[in-house]
Amino acid sequence: MSEIWVEKYRPKRVADVVGNKKSVEAFVKWMKQWELGKPPEKKAALLYGPAGVGKTSLVLAYGREHGYDVVEVNASDWRNEARMRWVVGESSLQATLDGSSRKIILVDEVDGIAGKEDAGGIAALRKIIDETRVPLVLVANNPWDPRLAPIRERCLMLEFRRLRKSEVLRRLREIARQEGIRVSDAVLEKIAENSEGDLRSAINDFQAITGGRKVVDEKVLEVLGSRNRVKQIFDALRIIFNAKSIRAARAALEGLEIDLDMVYAWILDNAPAQIPDPSDLADALEALAKADVFLARVNRKQEWRLIKYAVPIMTGGVAVARRHKPAGFVKFSFPSRIRLLQSTGRERELRRNIAQKIASKLHLSTAKALTHMLPYVSFILENDGGMGKGLAEYFELTPAEVNYLAGGKVEKEKVKAAAPARRARRRRRS
Amino acid sequence: MLFAGPPGVGKTATAHAFARDLFGDRYIDDGHFLEINASDERGIQTIREKVKMFARQIPMGGYGFKILFLDESDQLTDDAQHAFRRVMEQFSTTCRFILAANYSNRIIEPIQSRCAVFRFRPLVKADVIKFLKRIADGEELEVDDQALEVIYDFSEGDMRKAINILQASASISKKIDEKTVYRVMGYVSRGEIRKILELALSGKFSEARDEVRRLLYVQGILPSDIISAIYRELFYLDLSEEDKLELLDLLGEIDYRISEGATPEVQLMAFLARIAAKGRR
Repeated sequence: MSEIWVEKYRPKRVADVVGNKKSVEAFVKWMKQWELGKPPEKKAALLYGPAGVGKTSLVLAYGREHGYDVVEVNASDWRNEARMRWVVGESSLQATLDGSSRKIILVDEVDGIAGKEDAGGIAALRKIIDETRVPLVLVANNPWDPRLAPIRERCLMLEFRRLRKSEVLRRLREIARQEGIRVSDAVLEKIAENSEGDLRSAINDFQAITGGRKVVDEKVLEVLGSRNRVKQIFDALRIIFNAKSIRAARAALEGLEIDLDMVYAWILDNAPAQIPDPSDLADALEALAKADVFLARVNRKQEWRLIKYAVPIMTGGVAVARRHKPAGFVKFSFPSRIRLLQSTGRERELRRNIAQKIASKLHLSTAKALTHMLPYVSFILENDGGMGKGLAEYFELTPAEVNYLAGGKVEKEKVKAAAPARRARRRRRS
Repeated sequence: MLFAGPPGVGKTATAHAFARDLFGDRYIDDGHFLEINASDERGIQTIREKVKMFARQIPMGGYGFKILFLDESDQLTDDAQHAFRRVMEQFSTTCRFILAANYSNRIIEPIQSRCAVFRFRPLVKADVIKFLKRIADGEELEVDDQALEVIYDFSEGDMRKAINILQASASISKKIDEKTVYRVMGYVSRGEIRKILELALSGKFSEARDEVRRLLYVQGILPSDIISAIYRELFYLDLSEEDKLELLDLLGEIDYRISEGATPEVQLMAFLARIAAKGRR
């Protein structure tokens, strides 16, 4: 393996950049304005999105194709304003009137400039954007940090998303062809799937499993994780529930090829059977609930670093809480939530359709329609009182929908209905 | 403008009424007013495409601007909110924005600071009852005073709910008394929460869990409504006052966590497991 494929197969021309066509086009349009000698209103472009989807590659490909020197600066290297001006300021102010050297300044990992250490880094970058006479391209994974606000305002924002599996696959096939490697589509598909839209990691994986060979057979699939996933998760659960330390519990997730949400669902739904003591179970579920809070922050705020708290809490927290063990071995079972969702799919769809119809008439969201309207509509249809037909027509409900709303376990419900009513009255008097 | 307040107190109605006063009856058809519900279209893509498309068009008919109404705006992701904020600035000359939200704290600071915030509160009894009477007259219903009081109590100042209870009651009979209303509410709330809490108390955690999941995923009951119902039932559980206090504290905690984006199902389970641990004695 003399060459790193990721570098070797970096796109040479813009047309070779995989996916994200809209943002690629917008970028090209933006560069065209520079080329015409009329710098665009936004003198910087901010390319943002997850790793390995072609942000940097696009800039390099454009530079190569149109004869620009791409001056690359890694923002994580900057420590302060002085250094930043030294690196970027210099090149950004060098006019290119004679056209001898055309430049693009590429500032990588812009979201890495933050905090005290890079004092003034953002202010300096802002100033450089205002003053630059050459195209300035910023790259970031998460551009939404409030501290980057002044930068964002000055930038053309271009979003790059995860690539489609088919896009990754096509590129892998192309590389296999050029390398003269015989490999089955099943293997490439597996690699593409594992990459989750990160082409760079897919290419790296592919290079790693070929190991310099020209023929790759399907045995490598084992390495890639066609290993029985259920067996994997059972092994992991056994370690987690029996771990003596948080560290050991956390380690159970290492190398697991199952996404975190899935692992979470398995732990959550197996906890009641594995933890017989109610106090232990309450503590275990509280740990899971706290891990959930961290995962929510990760999702909402894109604070990926917080995952490092969620993982030990959802694994180790459960292990620590399990002070009493069940007598004998209790089997692990498939998460019941997933079973519930599968078995109720049709009913949920029916309800959702009804809710959508109601929502569109009443300026509501479907979620609100489900909660705030459906029970009443259901009650009215069940009792009718001369209103049912008109209501069904107004909401344009199908006979099947009306039947569902009006029918069901009517008798049972009515018996139950008496109890809360009496209670409510008692309460009002007390 | 940001209209913040609980459901059923007139946020959406105010926005529509306002636009109708301003632009006339054809305010929607003539393209002066666009309503988007962020709960159904919560992604950044909506903001990019739909909102921008509307906002960038020049106002017609001699009006200086048009109105974009973003309902349930607290359901937008943070990213979408940031994108929206930019749109607000970009098109401020051609478009005015009205946002409605249940929880203004879920709206990012930069948007809040660009809005005049109007707080909508639960409606007072006199207003709700007056309106219910108006409907009763129009629909030729006989509703006694006690029934009106009870409807108001159940509605908690939510006019939509009050009207729904009235209409559901009317489906049983044209004469509506207290009992009619209880029958409706007995059906609507179904005592399910009570049942769930009692399952948990008697140590049947897994069954309680499955019931909660049915409410959340099959029935589609909003987590906030489940929490409110638990809150109401909590005081009546067969537990010591110390235990109730502890559970109340935990309920408040998970309520807050959910409002901050945590998963309702998981948080409710942690709560039920704690109840199960209390009820063991």
